[in-house]
Amino acid sequence: MSTNPDANSQSALNDSAPLSRRRWLYDSGSSLCGIMASMAASALMADERKAATEPELPKPHFNVRAKSVIFLMMEGGPSHIDTFDPKPALSRWHLKEFVREGQQKSAMESGKRYYVQSPFKFIKAGQSGADMAENWSHLAKVADHLCFFRGCRVDSVNHPTAMYQMNCGNRFGGDPAIGAWMNYGLGSINQNLPGFIVFPEVSFPQGGSANWSNGYLPAHHQGTALRPHGSPILDLVPPAHVTTEQQRLNLDLLSSLNQQHAQEHPAHAELATRMANYELAFRMQSQVPELLDLSREDARTKAMYGIDQPATNSFGRKCLLARRLVEQGVRFVQLYNGTWDSHDFIERAHGNLVRGVDQPIAALIQDLKQRGLLESTLVVWCGEFGRTPDNGVRQGTAYGRDHNPNAMTIWLAGGGCNAGHTIGATDELGMEAVEGKAHVRDFHVTLLRLLGLDDNKLTYYHGGRFKQLSQFGGKVIDDLIA
Amino acid sequence: MSRSLLRVALLLLSFIGLTFVTALDQTIAAEQATEAEQLFVRRILPILNDKCFACHGNDVQDIQGGLNLRAQDALTIGGDTGEPLIKREDLLNSPLLSAVKREDANWSPMPPKDADRLTSEQLKHFSQWIEAGAVWPNASRIAEIQKSFADKWSIEDGWLLTTSGGLSAEWNDRRYKPEALWAYQPVRKPVTKAEGSGAIDELIALHVPDGMSVAGESEPATWLRRATYDLTGLPATNDEIRSFETAFHSNKDIAVREAIDRLLSSPHYGEQMAQHWLDVVRYADSSGFANDFERGNAWRYRDYVVRSFNNDKAYDRFIREQIAGDEIDPSDSENIIATGFLRMGPWELTGMEVAKIARQRFLDDVTNSVGEVFLAHSLQCARCHDHKFDPIPTRDYYSIQAVFSTTQLADRPAPFLPQENIDGFDEVKYLKRVQASHQETLQRLDDKSLAAAEKWHEENNIDPTKWKAALEQARENGIPKRRGLYGAARAIMLKDGVPEDQYPPRMLAWTPQEIGLERIAAKGLERLTWQLERYEPTALAVYNGPPLQLTAVTSPLRMRQEKTNAKSAPAEKTCILVGGDPFSEGDAVKPGVLSVLTSFPALAKSSTPQESNGQSNIKSNGEESSFTQLASRFPEPPTKNRLALANWIAHKDNPLTARVIANRIWMWHFDQPLAGNPNNFGSTGKRPTHPELLDWLAATLIENDWSFKALHRIIMNSQAYRRSSRAAAQSQEFSQELLESHYAVFKPRRLTGEEIRDSMLVFTGELNRRIGGIPNRPEINAEAAMQPRQVMGTFAEVWVPNPLPSQRHRRSLYALKLRGLADPALEVFNAPTPDFSCERREVSTVTPQVFALFNSEYSHLRALALASKVLKSSGTNDRDAVIACFQTVLGREPSEQEVASCLHHLEKLSAIESHKEYAPVKPPLEIVRDAVEENTGERFSFLEKLYSNADFVPDLQPSDCDARTRALANMCLVLLNSNEFIYVY
Repeated sequence: MSTNPDANSQSALNDSAPLSRRRWLYDSGSSLCGIMASMAASALMADERKAATEPELPKPHFNVRAKSVIFLMMEGGPSHIDTFDPKPALSRWHLKEFVREGQQKSAMESGKRYYVQSPFKFIKAGQSGADMAENWSHLAKVADHLCFFRGCRVDSVNHPTAMYQMNCGNRFGGDPAIGAWMNYGLGSINQNLPGFIVFPEVSFPQGGSANWSNGYLPAHHQGTALRPHGSPILDLVPPAHVTTEQQRLNLDLLSSLNQQHAQEHPAHAELATRMANYELAFRMQSQVPELLDLSREDARTKAMYGIDQPATNSFGRKCLLARRLVEQGVRFVQLYNGTWDSHDFIERAHGNLVRGVDQPIAALIQDLKQRGLLESTLVVWCGEFGRTPDNGVRQGTAYGRDHNPNAMTIWLAGGGCNAGHTIGATDELGMEAVEGKAHVRDFHVTLLRLLGLDDNKLTYYHGGRFKQLSQFGGKVIDDLIA
Repeated sequence: MSRSLLRVALLLLSFIGLTFVTALDQTIAAEQATEAEQLFVRRILPILNDKCFACHGNDVQDIQGGLNLRAQDALTIGGDTGEPLIKREDLLNSPLLSAVKREDANWSPMPPKDADRLTSEQLKHFSQWIEAGAVWPNASRIAEIQKSFADKWSIEDGWLLTTSGGLSAEWNDRRYKPEALWAYQPVRKPVTKAEGSGAIDELIALHVPDGMSVAGESEPATWLRRATYDLTGLPATNDEIRSFETAFHSNKDIAVREAIDRLLSSPHYGEQMAQHWLDVVRYADSSGFANDFERGNAWRYRDYVVRSFNNDKAYDRFIREQIAGDEIDPSDSENIIATGFLRMGPWELTGMEVAKIARQRFLDDVTNSVGEVFLAHSLQCARCHDHKFDPIPTRDYYSIQAVFSTTQLADRPAPFLPQENIDGFDEVKYLKRVQASHQETLQRLDDKSLAAAEKWHEENNIDPTKWKAALEQARENGIPKRRGLYGAARAIMLKDGVPEDQYPPRMLAWTPQEIGLERIAAKGLERLTWQLERYEPTALAVYNGPPLQLTAVTSPLRMRQEKTNAKSAPAEKTCILVGGDPFSEGDAVKPGVLSVLTSFPALAKSSTPQESNGQSNIKSNGEESSFTQLASRFPEPPTKNRLALANWIAHKDNPLTARVIANRIWMWHFDQPLAGNPNNFGSTGKRPTHPELLDWLAATLIENDWSFKALHRIIMNSQAYRRSSRAAAQSQEFSQELLESHYAVFKPRRLTGEEIRDSMLVFTGELNRRIGGIPNRPEINAEAAMQPRQVMGTFAEVWVPNPLPSQRHRRSLYALKLRGLADPALEVFNAPTPDFSCERREVSTVTPQVFALFNSEYSHLRALALASKVLKSSGTNDRDAVIACFQTVLGREPSEQEVASCLHHLEKLSAIESHKEYAPVKPPLEIVRDAVEENTGERFSFLEKLYSNADFVPDLQPSDCDARTRALANMCLVLLNSNEFIYVY
């Protein structure tokens, strides 16, 4: 048929297939592959350094300020009603019972239910008068840097599928995450580090590491999960008994065997790639721990992030590390926090969770600002969905909320977002977005746009089809952009 | 005529055209339609249909940019901008043209997606049409023109196909380029001079460019290594290589033939092929998503696949069993187990999901899976709308789905077969201990609340009589497992409408720690029901029956008669779901197949000039017409619908089936398929590079009664497969890729993660070669094993390796495959995720592979085991040890230079190692895990007992070895990381 994207033409395939096999190091540098094959190992090292300082990056589709993203993923589904979207009308309905039934309702949504008012008081923060529950006392100080979005809608009412959709665009997992797409589109600024780094909670989220998958994109775009304890990257260092000297001797022997082998197979380009990887891995062994070592940060900075307090230590460290990684040119850093899945006892659960993240997040925004990085760093705060204004009667009354795919609050900061504004609105009770409604795919398209990428151009040919983050296209939400 | 005059003339003409066409369309005969009219109907309208109307006209409720192209006078009215689409005074600068040309910043590029941009030919037609005045005839005129030019255009523009019918008339009128329909053409076996393997080389030679020389024959050692990895996934041993070399030098053809026969009869052949097949069908031992419940008995399907390959089961039978085994003969366990194929997709039903949507997810999954796996068609593209590129209407999608309308999920009874490996079931004792521990926890917490309840009544000054009565009643009713007596009593009070402040609250007297523990115990018991299924004579399967009304699935499903609490529901009726929405029913459909394949053969016959000179059709055995007949042969009542579908798929005249599997088999040998997208033979998939060869292979497969082994023999005896990976001297420059794609050199491939791991176990002698059985748990990266992972309402269990080395050191195929926890060492070497069918494994070279292979405890221990084995068998001489290591890992002797480097290395390492001391290792018997509790938002920790670790027998450790062994282990580690080991040539 004449109107097909012609998969069989070379041009359609040029940006996918060959690169997936030929990339070296963590990213990019592909232009060097050809010459590498014919080079001696010593000369190779020199060029590798060159690549590290002067990466040839793909060109973004638009000129924008944002270069990096720090994505604060509040897994479990934070309640918009108890954080950034006050619903005073709920107090009139508080504990009023009703019954919901129907073929289109899940067991969780069905049966006897009752409304629950928010246990939190709200304030108007900053010059912009942003709505915030008053326990966000630190974030309130940077309120004018935030752009709130209340119009987002997702398709799934269960955690892993909703998480997959928020992270990867597809509810069923297996597709590339936003971080992978951005690295694919923009390249990695630092050739010696992964371009997509994830700090999971102490426990991995539902759906596991597929939440930071490279999907069908080349493997070096996969999110690298850095661990809070032990080796930050799996097997970054050899077993404890192996000395550096020993490691070097082994590498030298390997290199001599591999060189000899390469001479016998001069046309086999991947041999050189694999050899270079061993040297990079060796360097990363010392560089990555240094990067993650916070001992050189001054006490004031650590206190600012709340690292000196038990409640904020964990997320504070992640936020500070995120800033350091962005400074080092990491394209996309995702921090997990949770679980915000407060079906019961929301005052206690959300109260503790907010206490854990409020100060670190505010510090991150202030710190980025004072270092001149807020312009070039887009900060995103969201969960996989919002929560309902009502709760089900399970084992008696408990003031909590169920999952809600039709209403949630997302906020952005920095990176050219429309700071100081609240976009969209939910209904009187917070059940559904009614103004500025947009599907999560539109939100994704907007994130790409803020990073200078056009979702419709950022495609990858896989399995006989051009695929994209938004699955089949979406609209930029102009109001979120300054 | 000058350029400007021409423009004026054209302008005039176009005005005349515009006015007259609308006014006079009834009077001017369609045959005399103007060029511009023809251009519109033939070229422009199909583009508008495909690329524009979806946003600009099809849905009047949702018109993008205010532009409705279906509206009358759309071209003059325009959209929100208010500008006409056509500038009459300056036609070639019309906004419409600017938008599709995508070069004017004032107009958004159209269509918006870059991948959808118009081709240069389409742009040329657009320009011509606009230049001719942008004539747009009305609907009846369009119909007339289409009718009168149909035959002429059909020959020139592509084929009009007959299907069961699209959702729109325009879709039915789409034309397809014949070359995009290659896969629907009947398989024609090209006539070749040579037979068998020689035919393959002849058909490859057809496409070799002038001046390209093919490489010579591969060295025998290299070839045997290649063939052994291909057929078994394991390395050729040094002895096998040496004796093959001897045989090769006396008679190479016989040596090759015998080696292939030997490898095909190895039980490891079935394992290697099963790995390929399981990639395609997305095998996993768990359900994925929120619960990621284990599928305890999925392993029986995995072993069924291994057995099928080892027995060289005919492919057509393999298809029938997997789609409809239960309909063929449910009394044979093998048939029941085979239907596990239909259950391979990730699936669950939690109380948070709408049941009908979950059911629809299963139906969508199974429909698409059958399409991708057997027919290389991603049918899901036709779920919400008629297929955008292929002749597959949405009606076909739901017709195939209707085949499964009576298919219900169950873990069915299926007695163990003598050929199944049921060793190691006694490991159930560890699970029973976990079960007992969870029950104890729940009891303890119940007791704690019960005790506190008395005090609570006193403190709150509430009369406990009612509470005591409720307790009494709960005892009589029988205490529910999770809630215990306390919870049961509360439930009674709640039901009786007692105000909540009049009886003790939930979780009374529990610490935040205990709140977490209760969840873990209660959900843990639920999870155990799935794990315990592993040792039961049941199979992950399906049956035909009425729909079940389920709200959540928290334990393995049984067949309906055993499921007492399932309410019956009206029979499931299959309808076209408008926009793919389960709640938006369109036309009802009956079971069916891909309708285009029914009408296509006749069309192909009449449309293609007689190609049969030099080509012959597959031999027919008298059932020539039955393929088309089968397309409508679905029984009433629908007891054997799946068998009817399977028979249609497995019919020798189905043009897709044999080609699809022949293409896969070819890829399993050459690491590149003939048709570049093995799961997509539609028009967007890559066309076959060697179409004649693909047809020849497909026809030959059928001639050999669908025997895999026969096809392996023919392929592997070809010159192409015996060719070296070193290029011959060329008369001109050809890139390596080009040489590889023409099979002028053999394309080297990297070992898969599984092959790397299994090879190491062969080298060390640790591999347990037993075939099949319950999944094992090898040691994986300890941090990944201990990484807490959220599942619904709790945390998934720690990955605890099997206690005995023989249990741990099984082939990677047998390792428990959890969707939520991939072995990072395999993942990093591109092991595919089981979420999607993997048509072809990616091969990337990334730094984390170094961490996994060079730094991991696992590699270090294999290197140590290898060093120890070598030193035990090769005596005390360092030189002999070095030689033995090379022979074991690389299948060759080292060069003098290599020996020298290695001896030097050994000397230095011995010095380092002689100063080290090692303590013996002991695995932990319990671990403390940290988590955040959902009810409190607070961190808490819990203890997980690792019962089987008490019986853990570690592998050989550094503390067991002397400095010399440890030094040699460093050299072994280097060999295990060498490029020579990792690549197959």
